[in-house]
Amino acid sequence: MKSQRVLVEYLQGKWPYYLLAIAFMAAGNVIQSFYPRIIGSFADQLKQDQLTEAHIVDYGLLLLGVGVAFGVLAGLGQYIVMRLGRLFEFFTRGRLFDHFMTLGEHFYSKNGVGKLLSYVMNDVTAVREAIARGINQSTNSGILIVSAVAMMLLSDIPLHLIAVSVLPLLAIPWIVSVFGPVIRTRSLSVQEALGKMTESAEEQFGGIRVTKKFAAERIMSARFGAEVDRVHGKQLKLVRVSSLFQALIPFLGTLSLIIAIVYGGYLTIHQRISIGNFVALTLYIRMMVNPLQQIGGVINTMQRSRASLDRINELLSKAGEIQEAEQAQARDLRHAGIRIRHLTFSYPDSNLEALHDLSLDIPPGTTVGILGKTGSGKTTLMKLLLRMYDPPEGAITIGGADIRDLTLESLRGQIAYVPQEGFLFSTTIRDNIAFYRRDSAMSRIKEAARQAQIYGNIVEFPERFETKLGERGVTLSGGQRQRTSLARGLIKNAPIMILDDSVSAVDAVTEQKIIDTISAERQGLTTIVIAHRISALKHADEIFVLDEGRIVQRGTHDRLVSEPGLYASLHAIQEEGSRDAE
Amino acid sequence: MRNKAQAAGKKTAFRSLLAYGKPHRRQFALVFFLSLLAVAAELLQPYLVKVAIDDNIMAGKNDFRMLLIICGVYLLLSVLGFVFSYLMNNMLQYASQSIIARIRQDLFRHISRLSMSYFDRTPSGSLITHVSSDTESLNQFFSQVLLSLMRDGMTLIFIVAVMFHLDAELTLYCLILVPILFLIAIGFRQYMRKTYQNARTALSRLISFAAENLAGMSLIQAFHQEKEQKNRFADRNRAYFGANLKEVSTNVLFNRSFDILGGLAVAFVTWLGGNAVFHGNIEFGVMYAFITYIRLFFQPISAITQQWNTLQSATVSAQRIWTIFSAKPEVKDADEPANVDSRSVLGRIDFNRVRFYYEEGQPVIHDLTLRISPGEMIGVVGATGAGKSTLIGLLCRFYDVRQGSVTIDGTDVRDIPQEQLHRLIGLVQQEPYLYSGSIVDNVRMFDESISREEVVRACRFVGADELIGRMKDGYDTRLSERGSGLSAGERQLISFARIIVFQPKILILDEATANLDSYTEQLVQNALRVVSEHRTTIVIAHRLSTIVHADRIIVMRGGRIVEEGAHARLLELHGYYAELVRHSRGKAESARKGRELG
Repeated sequence: MKSQRVLVEYLQGKWPYYLLAIAFMAAGNVIQSFYPRIIGSFADQLKQDQLTEAHIVDYGLLLLGVGVAFGVLAGLGQYIVMRLGRLFEFFTRGRLFDHFMTLGEHFYSKNGVGKLLSYVMNDVTAVREAIARGINQSTNSGILIVSAVAMMLLSDIPLHLIAVSVLPLLAIPWIVSVFGPVIRTRSLSVQEALGKMTESAEEQFGGIRVTKKFAAERIMSARFGAEVDRVHGKQLKLVRVSSLFQALIPFLGTLSLIIAIVYGGYLTIHQRISIGNFVALTLYIRMMVNPLQQIGGVINTMQRSRASLDRINELLSKAGEIQEAEQAQARDLRHAGIRIRHLTFSYPDSNLEALHDLSLDIPPGTTVGILGKTGSGKTTLMKLLLRMYDPPEGAITIGGADIRDLTLESLRGQIAYVPQEGFLFSTTIRDNIAFYRRDSAMSRIKEAARQAQIYGNIVEFPERFETKLGERGVTLSGGQRQRTSLARGLIKNAPIMILDDSVSAVDAVTEQKIIDTISAERQGLTTIVIAHRISALKHADEIFVLDEGRIVQRGTHDRLVSEPGLYASLHAIQEEGSRDAE
Repeated sequence: MRNKAQAAGKKTAFRSLLAYGKPHRRQFALVFFLSLLAVAAELLQPYLVKVAIDDNIMAGKNDFRMLLIICGVYLLLSVLGFVFSYLMNNMLQYASQSIIARIRQDLFRHISRLSMSYFDRTPSGSLITHVSSDTESLNQFFSQVLLSLMRDGMTLIFIVAVMFHLDAELTLYCLILVPILFLIAIGFRQYMRKTYQNARTALSRLISFAAENLAGMSLIQAFHQEKEQKNRFADRNRAYFGANLKEVSTNVLFNRSFDILGGLAVAFVTWLGGNAVFHGNIEFGVMYAFITYIRLFFQPISAITQQWNTLQSATVSAQRIWTIFSAKPEVKDADEPANVDSRSVLGRIDFNRVRFYYEEGQPVIHDLTLRISPGEMIGVVGATGAGKSTLIGLLCRFYDVRQGSVTIDGTDVRDIPQEQLHRLIGLVQQEPYLYSGSIVDNVRMFDESISREEVVRACRFVGADELIGRMKDGYDTRLSERGSGLSAGERQLISFARIIVFQPKILILDEATANLDSYTEQLVQNALRVVSEHRTTIVIAHRLSTIVHADRIIVMRGGRIVEEGAHARLLELHGYYAELVRHSRGKAESARKGRELG
């Protein structure tokens, strides 16, 4: 039963409240079940000419009391259960999000955002629905049915009459459980088709510029149209069963009623049961149709949410790949050199070595360049340095300490990493730049923006640093995004800074300015520049050339240009045009 | 004032969307008729029981045959009700699904016909929402709201009618309920709408926050900001929980007040009816039927009120869809398009005193004149914002010039039908876009009229053949998620092949090699050399190495051409171009070069 963890833990803390809610609902429903009896005895008294005006007032008040009591009690119970359900949602979402924070790159490389969001949205909601609606409805219906049956049994209605009348009703839960899975699979396939259609729309609109440029609008519309038709077909398939199902349930209720009238009527005519019992019987049967239908529905909801619950529990039991060592230390990395020894690394689930027997030293306070083609292992190396993946023990040390023995906070807190994509959050520019410490002084933020050559762009926005980015705000260009992301790294003024192809979308003039500023600002601090373009790193104290996970060349720019090899040939290609022109 | 305008907008939105229902009006009429029968069959049941009680059992006639007949009628009615409600549901769904499919297809076609500037302004995310989610909530309008209005509305009318038939006086008393119901509903309505919308807003904040954080997780971890982000998530989670509770409690309160009112109504009927029975004014069966009906009376009402939220979101969606439908393409084909035979186009391009601005008062292109001969290769350089891409946009007619004209072989681009114009010009941009589908289909843009052989030839031509040969299924390899398995360079090579297949007369490369590593760039450069032969070619680059071979280089600054000529000549000018070259090489080297040149 280990898989039920989240829910069990939650219910363990909340069961007294649930008990209270169930008690409220039970009381309400028991009271409600008196209603046919009251009408029945009204009929009997009337038939026996014992009815007085005072009685009538009593009956009215009694029924009013039943109605109000049911409304209030059941309402209270319902509210408590629904509130508890929402609270479950609140707790579980929080737990999921906290858990997401502990999971590493490897996990995210295999699980897309859409899939993970569906845990937070759909799965949590499905479980909440099951516990809230499940408890509400099964309590309501269960008690209503039990009390209706009890009332019928306690009255003088003969057992065999009840049994025969109720017979068709008993088929309802069965029908629900038969139709339920069919409806579910069909509605799942509708959802799937809808998902595909959305995906198709996403793709078509993402590529609308290309489509228009090739004047292929008509072909693309046809492609989208095919998806729409698929949704249409699946919807109709679903409707055919679901409407049969919806019509069938009331029909069974009516069958029961007909039996009750025929058989009960026969018995009444022959005066074997009283008119009051006959009336009560028909009302009880009517009363039972809805609850029976609901119980079937609850069974289906439970089944469906079971899968969701399992998914949530499975996710939560997944441990983060990167664990802090028990005796992890915080260290000052300010004058610490980086030392890499015989580093061989392959990604989990892959046989290919991304890095092979890599050894290099980065003395404190130097600027190091790492050059290589796409896929040569540059970024992998940086991810290991930041411990986004675990390097082999002892392979990477900073200031003499294995990075696996450092606390994550001291390691990552002292490395400023500027990735290529320039990912920004949809908050203010200020919050984005001051990401490492949201309460940084404005002067620091402005300074970082100036260093990254983005200050001029920011002050052109009406709200300057308070400008919101993202969906409801301003969209920055690729180069502006990269420069903002650079400012986010620079403001940290960290002992170690990694620029991972951080200025690739910036034009040549600005790139040069940025390089100059960084060189000046980072005097005495360690800077690692990764690039596939020589212009971005030729100023480095030492340059390592990576190819297929190995260091193939190392040295200063001047030395590397003069020796035959990858560096010189890359240099030739990149500068080819200029040389031709000379 | 604004409210009025909004209400009017709402009305036209709904009316024009209802126009989609028109072709299905026969089906809707049939549905109406069927639901009438289904409702009638269902609602006559208590009446029949009443007849059974009053005329047979209570009357002490002991006429079992009569009872059997009544039950026979009852059974027949239920079978009919069963069949009719099944048919009705199917028919309604069929109609509404067809309508939604039509709207979706029309919407898509409409959007893809809009001008480029529209897509500059509108993020594709919101378009996707309109096409998938907004149409889905319209679907709910047709399949749920309409159904409920029909069935439940009819049920109400029926109930009142039967009640009147049974006893008019008692019915009139019962109708006192109606204004009370209305008061409750109106009182709650405003509040319910507000709580519903608050909860929706809080939810979408929560979702987008989670989505963004998941996407940027590596950054959060690299900056060690887990705690901070957790707190921010908790804030939004709590806000949603609060908004949700408000919504839940309002709903419970609303439903319960209806329930209690239902109880009150039963008591009231018992009292009134009981007295009437007591005085012999009505029979007990009538009272029985009344009680049943008055309980039934509340079901359709609460069912209809349940539809409020759906109606609400459907209205919003309808409005949004309508807004898109009423957007007109800014760039339109001329009424009398020029007849251009694309085979005989030479590729001469003239910009005649072109002026352009996106927003009035902020000119982007100032009085620019440029003549490009057929087959010429032109390089365009300049800093970001110099107007390079705008120039291309004007040539492709993504935007219309504000003044002056752009002509191809002397024909104004505004006179050439857009479809033809776009086939004349091949444009390769920085981010190649691949669709999910096979390589062959990606190269020919799913145009079946282009043969596989042509595709293969084109790929061989640009040097993509080898790369494709290495893939699992060769040319039939299916690309997933926009070619995510391929590198930027590989994707760019495929997009080059695409250009070849379509044989444009004019080729434009807009920063097409900016994201490539040097090796792939060289492959692409070679391909470019092949492709640009005998074609007018315009290359935009901030990496100068790509354009030094150009026949002529245009140097742009602030929307004007400041220098033009071949590379060597421009260097000699020691002007803006020379400065750009200096920057791109770094200072040390330019110093060296300066000495050599000197």
